[in-house]
Amino acid sequence: MSVDQLPLPAAALDDAGRAAAGPYPDWFSKRRRGRSLIVNPLVPAVMVGLPVLVIIAIVIYPTVWMFYHAFHDTNMMSLFTRNWQAVGWDNFALVLSSDRFADSVLHLLRYLLFGACLQVLLGTALAQILYEVVQSNALRIVLLIVMVLPMMLPPSIVGVLWKFLLQADNGAFNHLLIKLGMLAPTDRIEWLDADLALWSLIIADVWQWTALPLLIVYSGRVSLPPAIYEAARVDGASRWLVLRRITLPMLKEIIAIAFIIRFMDAYKFVDKVYVMTAGGPAQRSELPVFIAFQKGIREFQVGEAAAYAIIIFVVAAILITLFLQYLKRVLKAQGIA
Amino acid sequence: MARLELQEICKGFDEPVLDRLSLTVEEGEFFVVVGPSGIGKTTLLRCVAGLEVLDAGRVLIGGTDVTRIPPYRRRVAMTFESYALYPHLTVFENIASPLRARKADRAALERRVGEVARLLRIDQLLDRKPHEISGGQKQRTALGRTLVAEPDIFLLDEPISHLDAKIRHELRRQFHTLEELRRVATIYVTHDYAEALSLGDRIGIMGRGGLEQVGTAREVFQRPTSLFVARHMGQPSINELACELAAEGDAVRAVAGGGSVAFAVAPAHRAALNGGTGRLTVGIRPQHIAVLPEGAAADGRQIVEARVEIFEALGATGVLIAETGGVSLTALTSPDARFEPGQPIRLGLATDSFLYFGADGGRNLHG
Repeated sequence: MSVDQLPLPAAALDDAGRAAAGPYPDWFSKRRRGRSLIVNPLVPAVMVGLPVLVIIAIVIYPTVWMFYHAFHDTNMMSLFTRNWQAVGWDNFALVLSSDRFADSVLHLLRYLLFGACLQVLLGTALAQILYEVVQSNALRIVLLIVMVLPMMLPPSIVGVLWKFLLQADNGAFNHLLIKLGMLAPTDRIEWLDADLALWSLIIADVWQWTALPLLIVYSGRVSLPPAIYEAARVDGASRWLVLRRITLPMLKEIIAIAFIIRFMDAYKFVDKVYVMTAGGPAQRSELPVFIAFQKGIREFQVGEAAAYAIIIFVVAAILITLFLQYLKRVLKAQGIA
Repeated sequence: MARLELQEICKGFDEPVLDRLSLTVEEGEFFVVVGPSGIGKTTLLRCVAGLEVLDAGRVLIGGTDVTRIPPYRRRVAMTFESYALYPHLTVFENIASPLRARKADRAALERRVGEVARLLRIDQLLDRKPHEISGGQKQRTALGRTLVAEPDIFLLDEPISHLDAKIRHELRRQFHTLEELRRVATIYVTHDYAEALSLGDRIGIMGRGGLEQVGTAREVFQRPTSLFVARHMGQPSINELACELAAEGDAVRAVAGGGSVAFAVAPAHRAALNGGTGRLTVGIRPQHIAVLPEGAAADGRQIVEARVEIFEALGATGVLIAETGGVSLTALTSPDARFEPGQPIRLGLATDSFLYFGADGGRNLHG
């Protein structure tokens, strides 16, 4: 059958000028769909099945287990005797009404505001300085490596390091302040004491993680088209105007992504707390995740710990969903997604 | 309002790009720079704009030395080949950006942007973002951004090269008629010779290191100073025949293709060729080769027997590639003609219109 003899659509175009559906050539309705190229159907089943089993074992089963025990009075004893009672929402009520939890939420907010935000702000500023002010490429690379170094250390090691630096009696930090004359030689700042413990944690965290937003924003800045900046130079825009009108708006999404990453990390900020202050003194530097860890692994109050974990999970999920929606909206407005 | 003077400007990157280039563009002049890609046309514009620091030489705008002055104080405006629109700003804000940089007041800014947008017929697009408009509209937005600046010098870098043919013609007409552009000194860079011939009050053909020839459209097309210039003006491009001169009585014959194509040099050209013998390149524009029908009179043309290789009917014209004595010749014909490959034909060469270039360096021997 030659091309000329193929049955052509009778009414070729509809009102909108598009090709109307059917009638189509014979082969079109007779063609077999979904024919796979893999001979043995067991191959895809095994390839997909194994990872699914692993995920069920290490993610889904523990999650279901956690949800189950959040509604039971499970503790160490009852785990051994396999004897636990359903208590409804009691665990959640216990958590939400405890002062310890309320305090830890305030700590978390303070940590987010001064830790995560500061890291993103500092990182953005440093990225801009690195790109605009530092002229030599070699120097830029050296500075970048130096600034990224703290990020390569394990957080627990950073915690130990800063615990040493911030020792009241012979810590390097106090020593430095005395040398600089900002502190009387007989004075001591108790960095890890009740009032300052959370701030010390924040300082250590900013020291370690500012480089991440820096890297993200710097790479975003590098990828902005240079022709735009030349156009701005010909227009006569001042540095400040270029920053405010071109660079920051174009980096907005990148900065938001950097913030989301730091924000999500903030929820699992346990390691430094554990090493530097263990949540103390007097629970003054505790964060919700740390309490969940304490309750579950130390005290084996499994039910209460599960309630903590679920509350944290729900709040984080809501916030991150909001962030992602913001991101989607902005990207859509720019025609990227 | 000012004239632009370039005095022996030099700029090199890995190798010299602009080598002691001098040029004056008068106020109100539309100067087109044409040349192959990668030759330094954009570099020339960037030097004028102040985006590149000169290695030597001076740039004068309105008699003032601006060589060491940053771009925004030169009163120049430049469009970029990539348009360089701000992707996150609307068309309105893109056009307004030079005024924003100057801190113009709100009312004046809105009035001026509105004027320019109406002029360029993009006033219905002012709320759109660059990714929501077409290539031609982006180009107009970029042009609008330079127009609102009301500069002394316009620099346009390949403004319409990346658009499709229909819009290219439409915008070309716009460049003819835009008063704002025609009032001040403009340098327009393109690789398209037709754009250059169409738009330029004067045209500069850029070769390695600088401008090979500067002149009006007629001058550069009819009297190219070098083979390089002749090659870059005209489509299909000029036929080049490596020839040897042979004196023959009082006539001079040029012999190409190992002696198989020979023609008499027109009397008007003999003096320039020193009457003697020597190697040179003969340039023959395709429109100076005619296909003669059977039994037609030579009419002062040199007759050459040839064989058809390829014929392309291009709608308005036909392009015939014929072979004679091992030499390929391209001729312009009527598009209605029919030729079969291998068909023998008679070509009439208008020897009066031939161009003669020296074998070394390709200088035009008529001077």
